[in-house]
Formats: sequence, structure tokens, C-alpha cells
Amino acid sequence: MTTVTDAPVVIAVDDVSKRFVIRKEKSLKERIVNFRRSSQHKADFWALDHVGFEIVSGTTIGLLGANGSGKSTLLKVIGGIIRPSSGQVLRRGRVAALLELGAGFHPDLTGRENVFLNAAILGLSRDETEAKFDEIVEFSEISEFIDSQVKFYSSGMYVRLAFAIAVHVDPDILLVDEVLAVGDEQFQKKCMDKIAEFQRDGRTIVFVSHSADQVESLCDRAVVLSHGKLVYDGDTGGAIEALRASF
Amino acid sequence: MSAEAARARAERLAATPFDVVASHSGGFFRGFFRSLADVVGQRELLVLLVRRELKARFKDSSLGFLWTLIRPITLLMIYFVAIGQFLGAARLIPDFAIFVFAGLTLWGLYNEIIVGGTSSIVSNAGLIKKVYLPREIFPLAASGSAVVTFLIQLGILVAAVLLLGQFPLSWNLLYVPVAIAIVLVYGVSLAILLSALNVYLRDVQYLVEVGMLIFFWASPIVYSWSFVVDAAQRTGLTWLTDVYLLNPISTAMLAFQRGIWKAGSESRVLDAVTTVPAQPWPADLDLRLAITFLIGLVLFLVGQRVFSRLQGNFAQEI
Repeated sequence: MTTVTDAPVVIAVDDVSKRFVIRKEKSLKERIVNFRRSSQHKADFWALDHVGFEIVSGTTIGLLGANGSGKSTLLKVIGGIIRPSSGQVLRRGRVAALLELGAGFHPDLTGRENVFLNAAILGLSRDETEAKFDEIVEFSEISEFIDSQVKFYSSGMYVRLAFAIAVHVDPDILLVDEVLAVGDEQFQKKCMDKIAEFQRDGRTIVFVSHSADQVESLCDRAVVLSHGKLVYDGDTGGAIEALRASF
Repeated sequence: MSAEAARARAERLAATPFDVVASHSGGFFRGFFRSLADVVGQRELLVLLVRRELKARFKDSSLGFLWTLIRPITLLMIYFVAIGQFLGAARLIPDFAIFVFAGLTLWGLYNEIIVGGTSSIVSNAGLIKKVYLPREIFPLAASGSAVVTFLIQLGILVAAVLLLGQFPLSWNLLYVPVAIAIVLVYGVSLAILLSALNVYLRDVQYLVEVGMLIFFWASPIVYSWSFVVDAAQRTGLTWLTDVYLLNPISTAMLAFQRGIWKAGSESRVLDAVTTVPAQPWPADLDLRLAITFLIGLVLFLVGQRVFSRLQGNFAQEI
């Protein structure tokens, strides 16, 4: 781990709350029929309840919590995918999300076309993608299939290519949602090596997991959420106790 | 070495201003211009998405892109035979083929933008749930692919007009870009608005299909403006023509036809007994076009703001 003294804050989660309104009807007919009683068909649910903390550059931080504790919602709010109901998130630098690999792939396009498309989605310009194209293909180890449509790829090939793109966009902040277990063992090792390289480069990694072991081995700080509230923020050893206590 | 890289990164980040993810997107106008700037910043991606739409659509078909032409030409033949010959509209509309094809081409643009745009957010659910992008980019990409299809059809229309020796070389030609601009403004505004509503209420896409059917027949595409004026005079309800022109696409369609369909602006002797007078173009067409366009801009602003309000929960609602 490279520790930089006076590392700048890259993500500031400032008193963020997120309320979901759960509606039980979806069609126009149901809404009109139930118009009078519409409040009965709604339920409020606080996925995040006044959560606040800061992350400095170069940290690898784990977000822990039971199912439904709000950790994935928090990751999505940090990534800007969901807007908070109140509070705000300040962040700086290029963000790449490994939320679900290959989300931007179009099955009918070739691997090559998808590399350009997906890299653009993750924020690379065309010139940058061209410069890194060979590196991406080499990392993915599927160069002989790069010009065939991705719908013919095996799921392993699909994920390899997607991972290769995501780690080559040179992010300052990497958001990871339990996707590191991809490909065969040898490729998994390559992924973990890449993560370690990211840590040495002083990139910030926000990592969502159920697995306390994974967090303990990768992260140098952990945040534990329970029912949308922040219950622990500190080193990973204490986090695991807090996680067990939160169940 | 990597420690140095890490220090450089930290220094660069310390100097970078913060992006704010908050519950609101700024004031009405400021939020609008910020969204606009976000989309402009992603124009490379927009181009790639348009290409993806076009490529993916005909990827495994052997005729490929030709299909975008086969459909309107089939429609043209159907309307030419059924409405032109059987119902006799061609007897009162000179150069009926050009007239119908002009109408179908412009309507095709409007229809494709709205229908494609409305479903664009829902059909890109995978991306919207996982990555942050200015979401307006999806209805805009759908519009972009509609524009490409339109340009090809417009090319054919112009070629046909040239071949028939009917090239409308006059100041009226200026009506063509104005008509296209109006269709684009209304099409894109409605696509943005409807795509967001469709996330919350899937009925919208079916409603749009029905609405487009109604508006197709409520615009002078397969019958000419003179039919509408005649019908209004026959029934004595001349104010109906004003109601008819409230439909922005009717006004745009008239401008488009006035620009590209030369026969509509002159009186034609079809045979010994029938002379078709020029179309009774609305006297204040220019003013109407200007007002229609301005209202379209307001609609664009409102549509984008509604979209922006609704998009915060897209990832959850899809």
C-alpha cells in the first residue's frame, strides 16, 4: 500500500438519504382503479438514512452489510446512477464502475466494436481507446475472436473482455460490486494482481462485498451499514465484528 | 516508481474541482444548460450509439440497409394505388407519387424518432442500471439513427424529383429545412419526455402507437391541404382549418410540400376537362412556422426538465 501524506479527499458522502417509494401497481388501469386508495398501494422505504463519511485518495475501502442494508444503493449513489433524496455526494476524478461487467455490450456487434463502445461508455475518448486497444485485447486473451459477434462468446470470454476494458480506462476511482470472481483461476489471479497494481498506483477502490474475508485481505478501511444506517467506520478487523453484530 | 505515480495522481486530484451528485440538478435554466453541456461532452459516445443502433438493426439480414427503403416504397405503392387510383385522389393531386413520398419521408422521420425514442430508456435498462451517463443520450441516439434513415430517403426523394424534371428551384426550397427543423424539435422533445414517462408507466409506448396512427391521418400526408379546405368550406366550418393547423406536424408538412412538391404551387391542366388549381397554402404560413418552432423550443426545455426530474430514479424503476 502506498500511503501519500496529505492525500486529498476524493469522495465525500454528505448526509445522504435515499427513500424509495414502493408502488404495488404498474399499469394505467391499476392506477386509475386504485386512484382514491393510492396511498395504500405505496410504501416508503429508507434505503439510506443520513449516511456520511469521507474517502481520501489511495484508500481501498470495503462497504459491508447484510442483504438489504443499503450498501449497493450507496455504491450507486456514489457512482451517480441513483440520485439521493437528500444530502449530496462530492467526488472528483474519473470514476469507473465494475458493477456488472459487460452491461454495455451489444450481442450483435463484434468484440472490437464493443470495445470502442464500452470504453466510450466508461469515459475514454476514441483516440485513447485506439492507443489502448491492443493492450485491452491482450489482457482479455481472446484476440482470435475479437472480430466475431459477442453473442457467440462463452460467458467467460464475455467477462474477460469486459473486465479488460474496465481496468484499462485509467480510473481514479474504481467502484466494484462483487464481480471479482470472474473467469478461471488463472484469470482471477490476473484480476487480483491488477487490483493490487491499482492500489500501488494510488487509485481509490470502493468495494462492496458480503465476504468479510475478501474485505479483510483487500481493504485498509471498512464501512458497515445496517438498515440504511452507518454503524461502523474504521479498520477492517473491527468491521467484521460490527458486521456480525448487525445481523 | 508507482509511489511517484501515486503522488502525481494525488496532486492532480487535489487540484480537481468536485462533481456534485445531489437530489436536484440546479435551477430551471441552469440545470437545463448543464444537462445540455453534459450531452455535448459525450458526443463521441452519441455517435457510437447511433452507429450501434444502425449496425445492430440489420446485422444478420442479407438485404440489410435496403430494408429502410423497402418499407417506405411499399407504403408509397399502397397509397398510390389505393388512395391515388381507387379513391381517385391522384386526379386532384398532380404528381401524386412525389406528393405522397414527400409526406411519407417527413412523417417517417417524426414517427421513428418518437417510437424509437419512447422505448429507448427501457431498452437500454442494462446500461442505465450500471453506469452513469447523461441519460438524454439514449433518446438522442434513437433520434440520430432516425435522421440517418431520413437522409437516405430524402436523397431518393430528391433524385426522383430530379428524374421527373420537377426540381423546385425557387425560394420555396427554403421551406424544406424549416420543416425538417420543426419536425426535429417536436420529435426530439417528445422522445425525451415520453422515454422518461415510459419508465414509470409502460402504457405510454402503446399509447404512442395509437397516437401516431391518429396523427398520421390528422396530417396532410396522403390527402392534400386543398381537401381539408374544401371539406371545411362545404360544411361551413372554416374555423376547422385553424384547428387542423394547430397540429405542428400539419404545418411542417405543408411547408415541406410547398418546398419540394413543385406541382402544388402551380395550376395544372391534367386533361381536357380537369384543371387543378394551385394549393391554397395558408396565407400566414411563415408566421405560423415561426410560432410553431418557438413553441417547439419551449417544449424541448420543458421536456428536458421533466426528464431530468424523473431520471434520478430510473435505475430503481426500470
